[in-house]
Amino acid sequence: MRIGIDVGGTNTDAALLQDFRVLAGAKVQTTEDVSSGVISVIQRVLQTSGNSENDISAVMVGTTHFVNAFVQRKSLLNVACVRVGLPMGSGIPPLVDWPDELRQQIGEHIYMIGGGSYFDGTDYAPLDEQALEQTALDIKAKGIVSVAISAVFSPVRTDIELRAAEILARHLDNVNITLSHQVGGIGLVERENAAIINASLQALSHKVIPTLQQAISELGIAAPLYLSHNDGTLMSAEYAMQYPVMTCNASVTNSIRGAAFLSGLSDAIIVDIGGTTTDIGCLSKGFARETSNASEIGDVRTNFSMPDVLSIALGGGTCIREKNNQIILGPDSVGFKLTQKALVFGGDTLTTSDIAIACGQMKFGNESKLSHLSKGLIDKVHKAMKARLESAIDQLKLSAEPVPVILVGGGAHLIAGDLKGTSEVIHPINSDVANAIGAAIAQVGGRVKRLFDYKLEGGREKALEKAKKEAIDNAVKAGAKPGTVEIIELEEYPMTHVQSNTVDVKVRAVGQLENF
Amino acid sequence: MIINTIEQIKDLTRGAVFLGTGGGGDPYVGQLLLQQEIRKGKYVKVIKAKDLADDAQVVSIAGIGAPSVLVEHLQSKDTCRQLLTKMEKQLGRKVNAIIPAEIGGLNSIIPMAVAAQVGLPVVDADGMGRAFPHLEMVTFSVYGSTAAPVCIANELGDSVIIEKTTSNRKVEDLARGICANLGAMVYSALYPMLGAEVKVKAVHDTLSYCLEIGRGIRLAREQLSNPIDGIMNILEQPKLDRHARILFEGKVVDINRETRDGWHWASVLMIPLNGKDDRFELEIQNEYLKAKLNGKTTCLVPDLITTLDLDTCEPLTAEALKYGQRLRIIGTAATPIMRRPECLAVFGPIGFGMSEEFIPLEDL
Repeated sequence: MRIGIDVGGTNTDAALLQDFRVLAGAKVQTTEDVSSGVISVIQRVLQTSGNSENDISAVMVGTTHFVNAFVQRKSLLNVACVRVGLPMGSGIPPLVDWPDELRQQIGEHIYMIGGGSYFDGTDYAPLDEQALEQTALDIKAKGIVSVAISAVFSPVRTDIELRAAEILARHLDNVNITLSHQVGGIGLVERENAAIINASLQALSHKVIPTLQQAISELGIAAPLYLSHNDGTLMSAEYAMQYPVMTCNASVTNSIRGAAFLSGLSDAIIVDIGGTTTDIGCLSKGFARETSNASEIGDVRTNFSMPDVLSIALGGGTCIREKNNQIILGPDSVGFKLTQKALVFGGDTLTTSDIAIACGQMKFGNESKLSHLSKGLIDKVHKAMKARLESAIDQLKLSAEPVPVILVGGGAHLIAGDLKGTSEVIHPINSDVANAIGAAIAQVGGRVKRLFDYKLEGGREKALEKAKKEAIDNAVKAGAKPGTVEIIELEEYPMTHVQSNTVDVKVRAVGQLENF
Repeated sequence: MIINTIEQIKDLTRGAVFLGTGGGGDPYVGQLLLQQEIRKGKYVKVIKAKDLADDAQVVSIAGIGAPSVLVEHLQSKDTCRQLLTKMEKQLGRKVNAIIPAEIGGLNSIIPMAVAAQVGLPVVDADGMGRAFPHLEMVTFSVYGSTAAPVCIANELGDSVIIEKTTSNRKVEDLARGICANLGAMVYSALYPMLGAEVKVKAVHDTLSYCLEIGRGIRLAREQLSNPIDGIMNILEQPKLDRHARILFEGKVVDINRETRDGWHWASVLMIPLNGKDDRFELEIQNEYLKAKLNGKTTCLVPDLITTLDLDTCEPLTAEALKYGQRLRIIGTAATPIMRRPECLAVFGPIGFGMSEEFIPLEDL
């Protein structure tokens, strides 16, 4: 039996699953320390299902906590930014494109060191070990405890960053080192940014994750803790502690994967309706479709693969106004104050939830407070909400063909009946905890993204075989059961503007968790 | 005009992607380099071509190489400065101004970063008003300037001088070979010209046009509920010989990519959002060369084809296109000098191996 948990900004959701069956779901408010909310939601879900702590074999947590901390500039460490690359890149030092306040907050501790590799893996300059020794002493003197190391073409030559880390570690005790090749592919600036973001979150991740582990074990659960990775796969708590930045998009991906699981479909549009916004994503062959656009985290450019999601201002708390006989939806929302502000709770604001309750689609609060709403108004609002949603769905669709739509999230029942441009509208059971279910059913993944010289590898076929094998091995290393691992994505980007046999190959493999 | 704010640089970069017509290399690295100079208190002074002294020495600075290498090597602060010094030694005189060879893509921003570093002015002009893949595809070359002497160097200081060639196409071939052997990304100083030559051979006012487009997109997005209207107002001004129109709105349903001889070839198929039966196609050889609606050509090189994100109106490079993207395709007329017969012979449809005759956008 496994428990999936989603720690969002407002709610912490849980789902208990056995053999891919949902036994129970629960929802509590998110707490500042993360772990007390997680504990209370675990207790609640076990209470509902009547199971005991001993039945649990794994706990999976998806969280936006770390990305939120970075976006809000909370609990960030000073980071030593060490780049191995000189004489290349001296005109564009680390942090050039970061917002000023953020650059100041993490300090401008920039060290540019000689060394680096060409795209074909040969050294263009030897690693300047002496400069690294000096750097270590300086970092020590400044009392910095987190370091990000990047190197030119490190996805091709991981050993350069590893060697640099070894030299620094020799002089530095109790310092966390993030290596850029662990958090990104080709594109030094974006990869380095991701490494620096990750390094700035080390104090937080080393506090939150062990606290979570301890709390779970004190609850009497002996099972391992996993965290959801951006791409919808799992990582061990120890890995996540080192690489908290890899959790940043997990919640959205989890909700798409959870919806896929609940509906049994592998291709559909997923509509996740929350309190303030609705996220619309695309399920393609069982996975979230990713966007190829450069993604920003807290105004810093990275190259993380993000799910392609369209967010619109429509949720359970969206305020409704009428002007010149026209219905105006939001864009503001009463958000988590729904239970004070909405009419149905005796408040003074007409919200989308009030309309859904008046229609009989949802049941909570005191319905009699809504008796004054006319049927005409209710119909008009419902129509306006549907029109907003229909136009957003149309934007995400790949063709004019009608597609199935799956409604999930706490506000899934705001919408009833058919939607234009869709083949069916599905309201799965337990849809309000789809993201927690997505965390629970997650698989273990492995990735490869680097340059291959097809000629040196003995042809395209052999090179791709090698890349696939590396991805599968990485998945097994991360805890996947050998034999269950399959390749779900393979892309090739040949190098252009120069005659070469070099191709940027991207492979993703996923498999079942060993102990499920 | 002085360029000294981060906002101007970002506007320029956005305009450079627009004028890159899908290619030209992502100008982001150039943007960072220039940003770093501005941060240090440097600035770019932009002058009009007509204000150049007739005997002023002008040269171009351009990057040559693989975009995927550029994003790792980034740029050193010395490479292009040293190239300028080498060029001055070749010419036996000081350089007075820098001119971009192409205003689309990476090579529009690099000259400005160098100019900021060394304190030289940049000429508000270029050799094409867009981006092209070969270094002989510039008006400078069409009207008789030689690319050589060309100074080429990589970031490590390996350098080569091409003293003389019998054609500018040979410089292109040599430069590609040198590039492949120097780490796949090099920089060049080339097309030394005098002020008098620049006045007649260059495409004028393209840098300010680039900035105007980039700023126009930003402002339209900030201020208008329908930003595309604001952008079309800038692009479509018949009195200024500016013609533009929306060629298509729809989503990408198929992309067929391949690499031939080291170049990016692709075709993109799109369908409308309204469920109509139209088929729209884009042909790509590094840049967008041809747009077709239901088999009929609607825009042809050297006229400009640009892909914009349908919602944000952000211009996108061909390499960023993907299945399912919702786009608006804009056709913009090339400036009159680019449509002269002698220019069309080099970078009209025939220059890219197409049998079709060039027909101006406004007649299609």
